[in-house]
Amino acid sequence: MGFLEIRRLTKFFGGLTAVMELDMDVGQGRIVGLIGPNGAGKSTVLNMIGGTLMPSKGEVIFDGVEVTKLPSHRRAHLGIARVFQENLLFNGFTVLENVLVGFHLKSKKGLSSSLIKTRSTRAEEETLREKALETLAFVGLTEYSHELAINLPHGRQRLLSLAIALATQPKLILLDEPVTGMNAEEVENMLSMIRALRDEKGVTCIIIEHNLKAVMGLCERITVLNFGTKIAEGTPGEIVENPVVIEAYLGTEEDVT
Amino acid sequence: MDVSAQVIWQGVINGLALGWIYVLMALGLTLIFGIMHIMQFAHGEIYMLGAYVVYYLTASFRLPLVLAAILGMVCMAAAGLFLERVLFRQLKGDWLAAVVAALGLTLILQSGAVVVFGLYERSIPVLAQGPLNFMGTVVPKDRGVAVVVAVILSLALYVFLKTTKYGQAMVASAQNPEGAILQGIGPDKMAALCMAIGCALASAGGTLAGSLFALSPYMGLSPLVKGCTIIVLGGMGSLPGALIAGMILGLIDGLVPILFGHAWAAIGPLLVVILVLVIKPQGLFGHE
Amino acid sequence: MSRKTINKIWGWAAIALAAIAAPLVLGSIYWTSVLTTIVINVLLAVSLRTIFLIGEFSLGHVGFMCLGAYASSLLSMKAGAPFGLSLFAGALMAGLVALGLGYPFMRVKGIYFVILTVMASESFRNLAMNWEDLTGGFGGLVGIPAPGMLNIPFLGEVDFGGFNEYYYLTLTVVAFSLFLIHRLERSRLGFTWLAIRETDKQAAAVGINVLRYKVINFSIACFFAGLGGALLAHSEQTISPQAGSAFGVMTTMYLLIYMVVGGKSRFTGPVCGAVVLSLVMEFTRPMQEYQPMIVGAIAIAVVLFFPEGLVSIPEKIGTWFSTASETTAEAPVKGSAHKG
Repeated sequence: MGFLEIRRLTKFFGGLTAVMELDMDVGQGRIVGLIGPNGAGKSTVLNMIGGTLMPSKGEVIFDGVEVTKLPSHRRAHLGIARVFQENLLFNGFTVLENVLVGFHLKSKKGLSSSLIKTRSTRAEEETLREKALETLAFVGLTEYSHELAINLPHGRQRLLSLAIALATQPKLILLDEPVTGMNAEEVENMLSMIRALRDEKGVTCIIIEHNLKAVMGLCERITVLNFGTKIAEGTPGEIVENPVVIEAYLGTEEDVT
Repeated sequence: MDVSAQVIWQGVINGLALGWIYVLMALGLTLIFGIMHIMQFAHGEIYMLGAYVVYYLTASFRLPLVLAAILGMVCMAAAGLFLERVLFRQLKGDWLAAVVAALGLTLILQSGAVVVFGLYERSIPVLAQGPLNFMGTVVPKDRGVAVVVAVILSLALYVFLKTTKYGQAMVASAQNPEGAILQGIGPDKMAALCMAIGCALASAGGTLAGSLFALSPYMGLSPLVKGCTIIVLGGMGSLPGALIAGMILGLIDGLVPILFGHAWAAIGPLLVVILVLVIKPQGLFGHE
Repeated sequence: MSRKTINKIWGWAAIALAAIAAPLVLGSIYWTSVLTTIVINVLLAVSLRTIFLIGEFSLGHVGFMCLGAYASSLLSMKAGAPFGLSLFAGALMAGLVALGLGYPFMRVKGIYFVILTVMASESFRNLAMNWEDLTGGFGGLVGIPAPGMLNIPFLGEVDFGGFNEYYYLTLTVVAFSLFLIHRLERSRLGFTWLAIRETDKQAAAVGINVLRYKVINFSIACFFAGLGGALLAHSEQTISPQAGSAFGVMTTMYLLIYMVVGGKSRFTGPVCGAVVLSLVMEFTRPMQEYQPMIVGAIAIAVVLFFPEGLVSIPEKIGTWFSTASETTAEAPVKGSAHKG
């Protein structure tokens, strides 16, 4: 029994089978990789775990709770967070405001307090602000707090995405291509941050990445998909040697080591 | 219910005629809204102007109805091309601005029509005289002719979409906006073509309505709303959806007033749409 | 307090003063009733913009005005309810219907949502036209009672049926409503709405129940539309459900145009748009047939040349001057989420 269990997960898009009968277990506090050539169905799987897509068949069980049909906001309540591939930020907001949105779950005040700012509302706002600044400090974006999200360079925008996800104080983070488009220094920074998340906060991470060097260095276990089915699973060492995996990547422009 | 079979069949054929006129609007709107994403909210005014053009061609120039109708369609297609080029292409990025521009256009065209044509109702010569034997009862023949004409136009569109290069590109565009570019046809050309066809269809719809019922400068609003409702009900970008939804809405409009009274007819379509949306938010034939 | 805030307060004070003094300065019943309509238009345009905060907009505002107007009028006429209660009940009715419709409607976005609002609005109007027994059908309602006498401290017995008195009553109600809407926009709730507008996928991923927040927004906006409708009904003392009336589609088009011409990004935008365009309509009254054309032309011109609306013009001139004189120009900043 794992922290996250995926049973026979399947997704059809019209006549196309994007994901076929996937079984996967992820243990708590692990960093797990999901790799495969383009179009293998990795993002689709992540979307079904995160709740932005509903499976055609199969189940997703998180921390003992069946979440298969739950909408994504409910999964956030249960502790699943996302870092999207397309870097979804609240562009017109400042960096600090972006993270504050992430603290939505932690804000207990409702509609009535919106009209009248009572002392406790003010106190809560102050607390959330402090927590947001702490989160920004963790990812190293403190000096950009009042910069508009849209003005940030790509690497920092990715860090901001991570910060937003962290604000929800998740148990599981789904990262879709966290280091794509980053230079070597930024990649190393992101990877050490993900490790810190696991070590300091016990957060479980599932990562999709094309940068296989990063994946091999970071993940404890890797699942390999091709054409929507799992073709291999194991430690980085095992995966790199696996002939089925190598064959899947041959003929594509992926860089295996 | 003490409503005779005669009245019911009249309601059905009226509903079918109305439905098919709405379908012509919906097909045009599917091409314009659903595929090209042009916010042509003034489409109802194209319908209205098409009817008036035909009126003038038949009344002042004494052209035969069929010729006038075809000229009307050509004329409105040209108008559509003009509008697309001059107005909508500038506002492609900002759809709220495009809607407001279309609303402004509606106001201008409607009030222009009132000023130029006046408010009293006119009529286009009838499509056909006399009664028709339908399902054992007697109904006006012109309703039947209207349905036939609309069906022929719809079939023509279907053939165009299936067999010609441009048509196939349009269908591909519906599912994937880059599909047309892959076929070697630029988005601007596609937009122009969709507008032209859509406006021609609207003109045809207006002509039919003007013949079956009457013309007025405000006649375009209701078919626009119905056409849009059909798109939502049938599913965005789906042509079979537009046909089926159009039939449903037409029949509701034809039968409900007879069976349940006008009050229910007023909110009937709304209730149907809500029901469908609750069960299937993408519409009857829509994709996820 | 910053310079900007002080300026804003002076700005609002000036507007308030003008609004209070206007009927006395203009001194005719005709103008007072025009002003009353303008004030109501402001409320309608501002509440329409509220929906824009979640990234959608409604072309069905008029339908909710209609609901509020009829509900309030019928309560006063047939149940003899006091004015204040009818007004509130009318607005509440509009808000509740919006709440109910919101759930199915908010599942679709963009232009398709707009279409639904138009549908709903036309359906309400048609219903009003055809439900003879309740709404008086085609002819509408006539003889809607004006509010009666009320004992106000310092002023004594005031008959709110009088034109000036009704104007000040409307002004007070609208001012209070604008205050509420402004506060909501600046609150956590408003912040969440803006987040949803930016990217609802990410908003959902952080636990925001996007559908619920959208529906709440729509209900609140339509509540105020209902309020506006009710105020209008008691002001004109008749309602007509016919297509050309205040509850027809033209009005809904005008409201959207007020909002966009004035400026959709700021709270003051629709206020400006409603006032300016209402005045334009008033002055073009002699050429009534050309009125829609003029408004339509203005709408198209603004949309093509001043996409941010009329309220952005002073700022643009300011920027133009400061760049022209080569001082450090304030770059056109989109600003943070909370804008004036």
